[in-house]
Amino acid sequence: MEEQKLRQYDFLTAAFLILFGIWELFETFKMPMTDSYGGVETVWYVSPALFPLFIGAALILLGFILLRNSIKTGGAADFIHAMKSIGKSRISNKSVRVLTVLLALVSFVYILIPYIDFFMSITLFLFFLCTAFYPDHDEFRKRFVKHYLVGIGIILILLITGLSGVLNSILKYNMDILSLIFLIYLNIVARKMAKGFEIPKKLIRQVTIISLVVPLILCPLFRYFLLVPLPVEGGIIKLMNLVYYTIR
Amino acid sequence: MGVFEPLQIFFINIGGMLISPTIMLLLFSSVIMGIVFGATPGLTATLGVALLTTLTYSMDTSTAMVALMGIYVGGVYGGSYTAILVNIPGTAASAATALDGYPLACKGQAGRALGLTTTSSAIGTFIGMMFVVMLSPVISAMALQFTSFEFFLLALFGIVISGTLTSQDLVYKGWIAGFLGLFLATIGRDKLQFYPRFTFGMSELEGGLDLVPVLIGAFGIPQIMSTIRDNFKIGKTKKFDKIIPDFKTIAHNTPAIIRSSLIGVGIGSVPGIGEDIAGWVSYGAAKKASKHPEEFGNGSVEAVISTETANNSCIGGAMIPLLTLGVPGSPPAAMLLGALLLHGIQPGPMLMIDHPTFILDITAILLLASLTMWVCGILLAKQVIKVLKIPTSLFMPVIAVLCVIGSYALGIRIFNLYLMLPIGIIAYFLSEMKYPIAPLIIGVSLGDMCDQNLRRAQMVSQGSFLPVITRPVSLILFILILLLIAGQIPVFQKLQKRIGNRINLILKKKSPKTPEDMKD
Repeated sequence: MEEQKLRQYDFLTAAFLILFGIWELFETFKMPMTDSYGGVETVWYVSPALFPLFIGAALILLGFILLRNSIKTGGAADFIHAMKSIGKSRISNKSVRVLTVLLALVSFVYILIPYIDFFMSITLFLFFLCTAFYPDHDEFRKRFVKHYLVGIGIILILLITGLSGVLNSILKYNMDILSLIFLIYLNIVARKMAKGFEIPKKLIRQVTIISLVVPLILCPLFRYFLLVPLPVEGGIIKLMNLVYYTIR
Repeated sequence: MGVFEPLQIFFINIGGMLISPTIMLLLFSSVIMGIVFGATPGLTATLGVALLTTLTYSMDTSTAMVALMGIYVGGVYGGSYTAILVNIPGTAASAATALDGYPLACKGQAGRALGLTTTSSAIGTFIGMMFVVMLSPVISAMALQFTSFEFFLLALFGIVISGTLTSQDLVYKGWIAGFLGLFLATIGRDKLQFYPRFTFGMSELEGGLDLVPVLIGAFGIPQIMSTIRDNFKIGKTKKFDKIIPDFKTIAHNTPAIIRSSLIGVGIGSVPGIGEDIAGWVSYGAAKKASKHPEEFGNGSVEAVISTETANNSCIGGAMIPLLTLGVPGSPPAAMLLGALLLHGIQPGPMLMIDHPTFILDITAILLLASLTMWVCGILLAKQVIKVLKIPTSLFMPVIAVLCVIGSYALGIRIFNLYLMLPIGIIAYFLSEMKYPIAPLIIGVSLGDMCDQNLRRAQMVSQGSFLPVITRPVSLILFILILLLIAGQIPVFQKLQKRIGNRINLILKKKSPKTPEDMKD
């Protein structure tokens, strides 16, 4: 990042740091300084607030130094100017790529892992992220992300409204089946789109293989060798259990 | 322990490891994994140690240390592959190696350059190990005299110096990162009065943040995001027939090796500063001391040897404060601290008393790891290069899955993931704005030490800060911290310059006059 841009962001981070430091001090002052806590009489110098006070004060001080430097170097003025024309500027390709990675990570950690079978979660995450970036085609990625967003949005709505519970009460693994259908749909969409954009079919095939082979190695490794219970053991992990304990 | 007893234990340890096929297999595989991690741009030794910590959780401590030290040693060395063959350092530690390694490869000497880096890295690791053996007992004995004041100031010094030396932009950005790390460490019930701090009533936060998921988030997620974002592609690698361990050149450069090792150990032992700085400092020192400084940048063998010796001897250096004081000397050492705590080992001055043979175990592992690294480097380089052909857009998502599963598996808590990701995202934006991540990690690792020792010290002195000045070690640390901070204040910088100029003038007056001066 070039110097001028850095100073602009410094203005933003300085403001954030000062606010954060003030919030931290505010929370710290709620901690016992001289009262009794849990039957223990405390004095200021052994108070649990002592160290957070030190950190909060340091962060505010450093925030002000950063702010001063940002104002002095013109970063603050540039930042305000940039803010005024924020509606006119387009999101850069780099930012779109970052947002795509963020979408993949956030949906993986907050939507898929806690509610969907772990094998399916990994497969969906890998298939989406690899397909989005491996062909290295911006328009392809843009359209593919839209399809993923719709699918993950449907899963999110089902989870928020509690419909997932209703579905699972009809058949225990309904959400897993739904995510499997989503994966198949993404695969078909990716193949069709790849044809349109003249992306070699081979790439989608490689991504499919990776997104299936990796969880096929990792899930048994953690479940049966490291004895780690997986976050959600849905239909596929249960099937794996059946196979593993039958063979053993 | 007598004089020969440690030696006896050391050799018994080595013998025990050598005759155990499982241990040797583990060592070879972790070293190779480390080389792959180090050679792949975007992956680092720190992330390698972090991810392997998950897999070693169920192992006994010494077996786990074999794997972790193996990947650490391999990771620091592995960066030189891409530095020499593609002019892209696999890790920051080998950035200085690229300056002369790549020109050597362009001259058709890639095999020779890789041979030199392999041998000098092994020598560097070995010398670092020697210093662990020699200095650890001395520092441990000294540290036993330390009180809470010294430990508090030592931790603070670690954060300040790490912030000062690792910041690429403004120095105080490093300090900010360090203090943010300290803040993260205060979350949870405090260890002295069990008061819940910044827990927002969430029971999951009461025990504090788990160190390893936080470190995986802070180090792994930014690397994954930036590598996928840039869709990084490794260009064509320079071809080489075989790696030649050019012992003659190595012997010819013995002074450079000794100098670089000392630099590496010295920098490694300073809290929070890693192998990258050791490489650059050693490069600078080698150029200054060289008879042919004009060759530097054009394929100087001396430069390649110096940087690789320094960054690998830094491993031993970083282990010294970690084992004796509980203060990690480098980011991968911070990960090792997390791993040791997971295995119930508390590094610090009491380590020599609680686990008398532990440091000897580590040194034995370091010795074997350096030999393994040499063998793997000489024999398997071509195979490792093949791994680099896997596109990062396929490789990095798999690493992301490993980060996620690793963070979850350590405490079997999904909550770890809920924390790991936001910390990772914040760390990504911080690193984009040129905030170094190493001080943040050091802050998280040392937060507990800082907090508890500050309050214990105050408890003993009844709220007085006077012992900071009356205790010699405290005073030295306090002055060092003040100097580091003052060094960034313009008034002091001017004063420093003025004093420097005055000293130069006095020295000039005292030195004999040159013919030019006589003419004047």
